[in-house]
Amino acid sequence: MATFVSMAEPAQTGSSSVSEEANRAKADAAATTAPGGPFSIGDRPKWAVPEFGAIYEEHSRPVYYLALRFLGDPAQAEDATHDVFLKAYRKLGEFRGDSAMRTWLYRITINHCKNLLQTWHHRHMVNNADESLWESAPASAENPLRVLEIKELGQRIQKTLDVLPEEYRLLLLLVADQQMSYNEIAALTGQSPDAVRGKLHRARKAFIAQFQKSA
Amino acid sequence: MNPNTSKLRQKQETTEQIASQQTAREFASPEEMLRHDAGQISPPPGLAHRVAESIAKEPRPARSWWQRWFSRRSTNP
Repeated sequence: MATFVSMAEPAQTGSSSVSEEANRAKADAAATTAPGGPFSIGDRPKWAVPEFGAIYEEHSRPVYYLALRFLGDPAQAEDATHDVFLKAYRKLGEFRGDSAMRTWLYRITINHCKNLLQTWHHRHMVNNADESLWESAPASAENPLRVLEIKELGQRIQKTLDVLPEEYRLLLLLVADQQMSYNEIAALTGQSPDAVRGKLHRARKAFIAQFQKSA
Repeated sequence: MNPNTSKLRQKQETTEQIASQQTAREFASPEEMLRHDAGQISPPPGLAHRVAESIAKEPRPARSWWQRWFSRRSTNP
């Protein structure tokens, strides 16, 4: 039997910047051997407005992740991220700095993804989720969020999120971003911070119950 | 039982145990799990170029009111 392995979670910004650096180094190495084309993978894009390039560098990862897990499809998430940054560029003059840039970009992402989810296909998907099932899920003695195969974690997370109501999925994804406060999440989702806390409690419960089923 | 077989089985069990220890991971909350997941995922490498190319075709965005205000203040003290 596998023993419990506890790992302290590093701060998100730190870990992501380290892995971003690693990815960039890998990409740079790939570019030196990549054949010619419109661009090599490791080449830095040439931004018409360098300031916007910096905004993309800083926020593309969380925006892509939100779109990916919210939509559940990598190709759609890629297109959505492209469209979000294009919309952001066009609306940059409207950004008044009342909220953080991350919050503003998330607002565009959420609206964009919600529009995509309102297509015929998504509207007609049958959601078998029944909240009473999560409420009555028996408490396990073992940590239900214990995973033996980290390789398959992404698939299990997606399977779990796909079954949750849209609101729960969104709240969990937003609260996972350590840069987001409860007040910011409340403003983004159009409810009070207390309502966010209450719904998050139910969303966590639903996630855990569904995650156990996905094993 | 052959002592060699027993030792071999014991060694095999230890190896399996080490392998499962390396892959097992416990999360305190769904958000911690999602945070870990987010750390593993990067946008596709060509996406930055795609965005940059699309932006190059766009007119320069208008400056926001606060940028205009600050630039006026800096030129007219």
